[in-house]
Formats: sequence, C-alpha cells, structure tokens
Amino acid sequence: MEIIEKIKTNKSIDNQTEIQKICLDKLQSSPLPNPRSEQWRLSNKSKLSNFLDYSVNENYSKFDTPYPKNSQSTVRLIIGENCQIKLIEKNYSIQQLSEDELHKYIKEQISFFNQNEHWSDLLNLSLSCKNNILGLKINGSKIPPIEIFSHASSNSLNAKTLIIFLENNCSVDLLQVNLCEDNSSLSQSTFFCLEENSSLNHGVVSYGVNKSNLLNSLNVIQQKNSEYNLGSLHFKFNYARFEIRIKQSEGNAKTNIKGMQITKKDEQISTYTKIDFDGPNGFLDQINKSLADDKSHAIFEGSIIVPKIAQKTDASQLSRNLLLSNLAQIDTKPQLEIIADDVKCKHGATISQLNEEELFYMRTRGITLTEANKLQLSSYFQEIIAFIPVSKDRWDLLDKLLNEN
Amino acid sequence: MQSKMKESDPILEVENLSASTDNLPILKGVSLTVYPGEIHAIMGRNGCGKSTLSKIIAGDPSYNITKGDIKFLGENINSLEPEERSQSGIFLGFQYPIEIPGVSNLEFLRVSTNARRKFLNKEELDTFDFEELVKEKLEIVKMDHAFLSRSVNQGFSGGEKKRNEILQMALLEPKIAILDETDSGLDIDALRIVASGIKKISNAQTGIILITHYQRLLDEIKPNYVHVMSNGQIIKTGESDLALELDKKGYEWTDNFIKET
Repeated sequence: MEIIEKIKTNKSIDNQTEIQKICLDKLQSSPLPNPRSEQWRLSNKSKLSNFLDYSVNENYSKFDTPYPKNSQSTVRLIIGENCQIKLIEKNYSIQQLSEDELHKYIKEQISFFNQNEHWSDLLNLSLSCKNNILGLKINGSKIPPIEIFSHASSNSLNAKTLIIFLENNCSVDLLQVNLCEDNSSLSQSTFFCLEENSSLNHGVVSYGVNKSNLLNSLNVIQQKNSEYNLGSLHFKFNYARFEIRIKQSEGNAKTNIKGMQITKKDEQISTYTKIDFDGPNGFLDQINKSLADDKSHAIFEGSIIVPKIAQKTDASQLSRNLLLSNLAQIDTKPQLEIIADDVKCKHGATISQLNEEELFYMRTRGITLTEANKLQLSSYFQEIIAFIPVSKDRWDLLDKLLNEN
Repeated sequence: MQSKMKESDPILEVENLSASTDNLPILKGVSLTVYPGEIHAIMGRNGCGKSTLSKIIAGDPSYNITKGDIKFLGENINSLEPEERSQSGIFLGFQYPIEIPGVSNLEFLRVSTNARRKFLNKEELDTFDFEELVKEKLEIVKMDHAFLSRSVNQGFSGGEKKRNEILQMALLEPKIAILDETDSGLDIDALRIVASGIKKISNAQTGIILITHYQRLLDEIKPNYVHVMSNGQIIKTGESDLALELDKKGYEWTDNFIKET
C-alpha cells in the first residue's frame, strides 16, 4: 500500500499543502484505523486494503455523466474540473470560499478529529490537493438546485473534498453524486455548516461499477433553528463506507435522514451515523434501509448522543433490513446514549425477507413473480428515493435500481 | 345431486383432491364440480380445509397436491403458476386481504387488469383509459375514488378491504370466483353492498364458490348447492336449505354424517 508507506515515512513533497502535512502527521503514529475499534471492527480488512491499493490521482479525468444533461435551472459543479464559481444574483449568491477561509475552517475541524472516528477524513485531507477541494458559501433565497459530482477514474485513488457554508436564513436543494469507474477508489469528505434558520435538503447518490470502492464521510454542524434533510443511496460498490456525523451545536434544530444501501455479489457497504445533540429541543427522525443479496454484507451502526444539556430532545432511529439470500449478511446496531432525563428517544431494527404472502396475493391477481418482486422492491425503495432532492424530477433512480435488482 | 345432466361444460372440476403442507395432509379427497351460472357455498368448522381448498385452486405454492386433479375449462391446471390461473380467469377473494405498503392501489389494479386483458387478447389500458374503467367499477362496490391513491389495502378498514376485493373481481371479470369468508368482519350495510356487488358481477357464464360460516350472506346470495366440509373432505352436499338447517343445528349435527361416511 503505497499510500500507507508514504504516511509512515512522511516524506515531505514540495507541493504538499499545510493541511496535507498536518493530516499526514496525525496519521503517522497509526496510519490505519484500529480494526478492533467499534467503528472499524466489521469493516472488511482485505477490501479496505484494496481501497488503498491504487495510486493517487490528483488530476481531473473527464468522464461521461450517465445522467441527464445539465439543465438551465440547475447549477452543476464537478469537483476537480470547474472549481471556479461566482454566481451573484438579485436574490442569492453562490461563491467560493477564499483560501484563507478554507484553510482556517479545515484546521479548526482537524483539531477536533479523533484518529479512529475521523480516519476517513484525515486520509482524505492528506490526499486532497488544492484542485480537488471545493469550498462554497451560499446565501439568499430562491437558490436554484445544485448538483455536485465527485468522480474516481479507473485504476486510481481519487480524493475529493467539499465544504459548504449555508448562511443565515438560506434554503437550498443539493444533490451530491459520487461516481466510481471500474477498479477505482474514491475518498469523499464533505463538511456542511448550517447557520441559524438555514435549511438544506441534501441528496447523496453514490454508485460504482465493478470493484469500485468508496470512503464517504459527511460532517454537518447545525446551528439553532436550522433544518437538515438527508436522503442517501449507495449501491454497486465492492467496498463502501458512509460515515455521517451531525452535531446540533445549540440544539433547537431539526434533522431528518432517510438512507439506503444495496449490496449484491460479495460487496460490503456500511453506514455509520453519529448524531450529537449539544443543546435542548433537538429533533431527529432517521430511517436506514439495507437490502442484501447473494453473499454480500450490509452494515448499519447508528448512535444518538443526548447529554444532560439536551433536554426535550425528540429522536427516533430505525433500521429496516431486507435479506434476499441465505448467504447474505446484515449487521445492524442502532443505539442511544442518553444522559438528559426529559427526552423522547426511540430506536429499533428489523430484518426480514420479501413477504411471501404479499407475493402470492399479487400473483393471484395475474402479476408475474418477477413483476411482483419488482413491485415489492419498488415500494421498499420508494420511501428513500422520494426523499432525495433534485433527482426525482430528472433522474430515473427507481427504474435504475429496479432494473439492476 | 351434481350428477344431473348439464347443458354446458363445467368451469371447474376438482377430482378426488388431496393436498398437504409440510407433510401434513389437509385435503383428503375433495371432489367438486361447478357449471356456468352456479353458485356453490362451502361451510364447515374452522380448520376443516375450506380456505386451503380455495388457495390450492388459486395455486398457492406452499401446498403440495398429493393426489387428484383440478381442471379449469377442461384443462388440468395442477402445474400452472398462480398468475397463469388468475390470467385465465380464476379469482380468489382473500379472507384477510394483504396490505402492500408503498404500492399504489390504482397501479396495482391497473397491472392486474392488464395482465388479464392481455390473456384475453384485449388491448391493455393506459392510465387514463383505466381511470375511466375503474370509475365505473367503483360504483358497484360504492367505494370512494380516494381509495385508489392509497397503498393496496393499507389503512383500510375490514369492510373496505373486502370491497376492494370485490372491486378487483369486477375489474378482472373472472370465469370463476372463490370468495373466502368475504362476509367476515362486515356490518349489515357493508354485507349488502358486497353481496349486491357479487350479484352484479356474476352472470350465466360465471361460477361462484362462497366460503362462509354464516347464513346471512346466503340470505343475500342464494346458492344452488351447499357443501359441508369436515377434516379435509366434503361430507355432505345439498341445496340452499342445507345451510338453513346447519344454521339451526350447528356443526355438531354434521358429526353424524362423518360417522355415516
């Protein structure tokens, strides 16, 4: 693993940024995450090793978007390609963060990083060159929907970083798309800061081809009266790991999460979430769905942390899983850590198979077994897909999923 | 009684049918013949095999036919898939209609109807044409249009679920309908609506098998034949007055028939 060797020897390269140097320093003592730690114990070691096997590609490689062409009403950005943006309109503005702003923010974030918990971010920031970091500040109203693409080209490891400040009272729909080509690895780290009264409808759609790998880390800080809605979908990865860390820094904020991962063959896809309530009156409604077929492995680990200061928190976390094969594996662990005494918190997990009674019912109405399966899966997918912004009008996600399952 | 000469060929012939699930015998030699225009009622204690018979005719893969044949319009259908049986005109109205969250009732009904229409070499209906057809059929069961936009049977009351079953029957226009305890859980008004719907849909070319415990459905829809089942067998067949007698005397009365058998 060339990257780990590089981290161990920590050879300074001329064009390394200060951030890269800080992160490499932090990783030097233990370049890999602790495989016995809670966050990494279920992670497939050989697949993680495969993730790190490729050489780092810092250049932008053109790719064909398999999605609808750019539309006039949507702002489309590709990290690494067109990082220059300055849109100042009557009602809103979308501008790049200055280098100083970026530098200051990332350094501040890194100071809070814990080696195991933020290993993916440390790796990302140690590999992300200037061109592959996109920082934006958005303000105003009637902001057009935004699509942001990250792409990994074949036989290489690509690191992309996205940082967005959503200023006071601003509301935006943003779809983030992570695409991996054959035999590639993508390290994607995303940082959102939602200021007071702002609202973000965030979609994450990640999909690969054969032997694609993804480390996708998402860090969100919500100030009071902000609302963060996340709809996510991960599928077709040899190895993918989606880490979500959300902090309601002063409480009084709303978070809604609906996520889904689909695994087939011998793939492993995992979702880890940590929601911190650092103030009172916080709200969370989370549902995570996994669908595992063949010999694949789907993992969900969620934790909700409610300290004493977070009185009147209302949080719900549900993990619903569908096991389609006897050889597939699902691990799920929703958990609550509650210190505050006046809260309403609940969590739960279910693992089931396609419902035989439903199938027979549909078949007695002339619907073939294949169609009945599709209808069942469609109903399973629908709840999540409907929650992914921007995609629903222009993308054919549901058809795509149904055709591939 | 069923041996009398009929003018047309039977729709359904169940011949000496035995079936099991998980190696447990449930049906032990059931025979039943339904001709066009006939209404048959099957009665019997809980667990006697009534619902199993209906599911086996509809093709439930969780049961194995160990002996005997099921013939539909003269063809043996023992090995046909449930969807093939439905498409060719066999309808099973469920005792407990299944809820399918996330699947719109309208779309479900349209896909089902088109599967049947395709079999009948009729043109498949697009959403607009289907809306017209379904609007007309909703009248039969006095259902509100709003039910179509909800998920299949989800959140429906017991009566609404049964009406949705009859709506499906109206759309699929089956040759034979087996209605498994369609009257259970219905109040008097709902029972009348459902019974009137069944009567409107049935005609001289269709056959109906009503599985029921109660005379009140048979007051609304008078059967030509009543069969009493016990322990996986039909132990007595009579005309509609058999149901009245059963209503008066209870199933203990039928124990004597078992002894005679």
